[in-house]
Amino acid sequence: MLDSVTLADYLPIALMLVLAGLFVVGSLVASRFVRPDRPTPEKLDPYECGIVPEVEPIQRFPVKFYLVAMLFVIFDVEIIFLFAWASIYVRLGWFGVGAILIFTFFVFETLAYVWKRGALDWNVRQRSRYLPSDAVDEAA
Amino acid sequence: MITPPEVSWIAIAPDLILALGAAVVLLVEVQWKPAARVLGLVTAFSLVLAVGATLLQKLAVEDAMLAADPERLVAFSGMILMDGFAVFSRFALLGATVLGVLTGWRYIEGLGRRGAEALALIMLATVGFSIMVASNNLVMMFLGLEVGSIALYVLAGMSRERPESDEAAIKYFLLGSFASAFFVYGVALIYAGTGKLAILDIRAFFDQFIVTSPTVIYIGIGLVIAGLGFKVSAAPFHSWAPDVYQGAPAGVVGYMAAVAKIAGFAAMARILLTALGDLDSIWLPIVAALAALSMFVGSTLALVQGDVRRMLAYSGVAHAGFIMTGVVGGETQGILFYLAVYAVQLLGAFAVVVAVSGASGARSSIDDYRGLARRSPGLAGSFTVLLLGMAGLPLTSGFIAKFGVFTDAWNSGYEWLVVVAVLASVIAFAFYLRIIVAMYMDEAEEEAPALVPTVRWVVGLAVVATIAWGIFPGSLLDLAANALAL
Repeated sequence: MLDSVTLADYLPIALMLVLAGLFVVGSLVASRFVRPDRPTPEKLDPYECGIVPEVEPIQRFPVKFYLVAMLFVIFDVEIIFLFAWASIYVRLGWFGVGAILIFTFFVFETLAYVWKRGALDWNVRQRSRYLPSDAVDEAA
Repeated sequence: MITPPEVSWIAIAPDLILALGAAVVLLVEVQWKPAARVLGLVTAFSLVLAVGATLLQKLAVEDAMLAADPERLVAFSGMILMDGFAVFSRFALLGATVLGVLTGWRYIEGLGRRGAEALALIMLATVGFSIMVASNNLVMMFLGLEVGSIALYVLAGMSRERPESDEAAIKYFLLGSFASAFFVYGVALIYAGTGKLAILDIRAFFDQFIVTSPTVIYIGIGLVIAGLGFKVSAAPFHSWAPDVYQGAPAGVVGYMAAVAKIAGFAAMARILLTALGDLDSIWLPIVAALAALSMFVGSTLALVQGDVRRMLAYSGVAHAGFIMTGVVGGETQGILFYLAVYAVQLLGAFAVVVAVSGASGARSSIDDYRGLARRSPGLAGSFTVLLLGMAGLPLTSGFIAKFGVFTDAWNSGYEWLVVVAVLASVIAFAFYLRIIVAMYMDEAEEEAPALVPTVRWVVGLAVVATIAWGIFPGSLLDLAANALAL
């Protein structure tokens, strides 16, 4: 029973790993020989567009980015589920509809909550209503 | 053609009710900004409904057992089990939640608008753990474990203004995620070795086949035990417990510790006793060693603590060892009885801590308890009963619980473990006695603590339960005996 699963079954994965490694090394080496080599100061900048950074940023970043990232993850997961459901929803029938409704209810409940609590208000500095007094607005 | 799983609403009714309750609490809070009392009522209502749904489950289980049709109790194509084991664990979880909310009520109220979050997190943690104890599928179990654990990480950090709370949350989160990774890796290896994820399928697999190259499965078992051992704070995976018990808000620590222990041990019993019962020659020595280590480490380190919450944490490590002794014994009755009894005592003890050192619990040094008997004799007497119950003195529920798991372990041939356990109980008695001596022998220095009514209820209930189950353990023992896993 178990003997049918051997390391040999993982051979394709190992081959894939080797191929991927070869591709990376190979394309780097190949481009080194094929491409023309004419560096200019602009090309050697970390970023070709935008302003050249003068100093390391010392101030804290607003934590809002973090909130947006978290909301993104929530909706990302929702899409994963919705996508799987949508591709076979006919065959799943009412069970699928019910399950996805319960699921989306809780996702939208999350959205409604963070929205109402002001997490999506980008320019609001003062959110003292929600925080203990000593933690208000450190970023300012 | 896909056949959708059979929907069995009753099998997940308590969880659905509590999840909805959490959603309603949050939505009501942002929409109407009501007084905390209203949110508390919504929570209480959800908890009552959930307990009612669990009662219905119990009736359904009895029906199915009478009809000799256990297939009926397998729901959602074998994802969820509604067996007696799950129902008993759910009752324990819900009871711990009720006591936990009552203990922490003053604290939750004081959080202002964030109180709704605390209530919702408590309910969601219970949902997660409740799914965990009822799952028949290792992945489902992991999902429940994560839902519950993540809610607990946030609860540990609810007191943002105290750095200790932050420290507790970060430590708990990092180590907890690490442990979850261990657990899920173990699940993956067990799947790799057997090709099964459902508990009952894994049992059937080992009944049917003899595995010729079982290394992968053995490593998987070890990882699963390590992951769950962390969640129940068994040595050597206990290092987070003292800091979390001390740093997290006192009002919710008792709840956090109780539900994590109940769910962790229920899952451990399901995986080891049911799924891997045929491999007990492999995991019995591991679990016995962990149990002995936990009892020894917990009892001895608790002796030297100067902080009551840290002491309770190390006593929790020792108790994890005692319950693991029950796992070695292999009887779910002993394990479930011990869990229920210990959860009540733990919540009662933390209610006393809340009463003495305040709801956010900034300080809980043993000095605060000096002369408590003079200041408020009732509280000191109650704490004495609870501590003696934890120590396992006869005529308390702790004695019956310890006696049960020791007997089971003895009968399964682990006499040496019982000897270690008895020795550890004696050591443990010393540090419980230390607090009692401080309460009764020393002079009072401060005013009597003001008791919040809800905390008073919890302490009173815990004391009554500790004595009642110690003298008349029959009814609870019967319930635990009937709570069989499929």
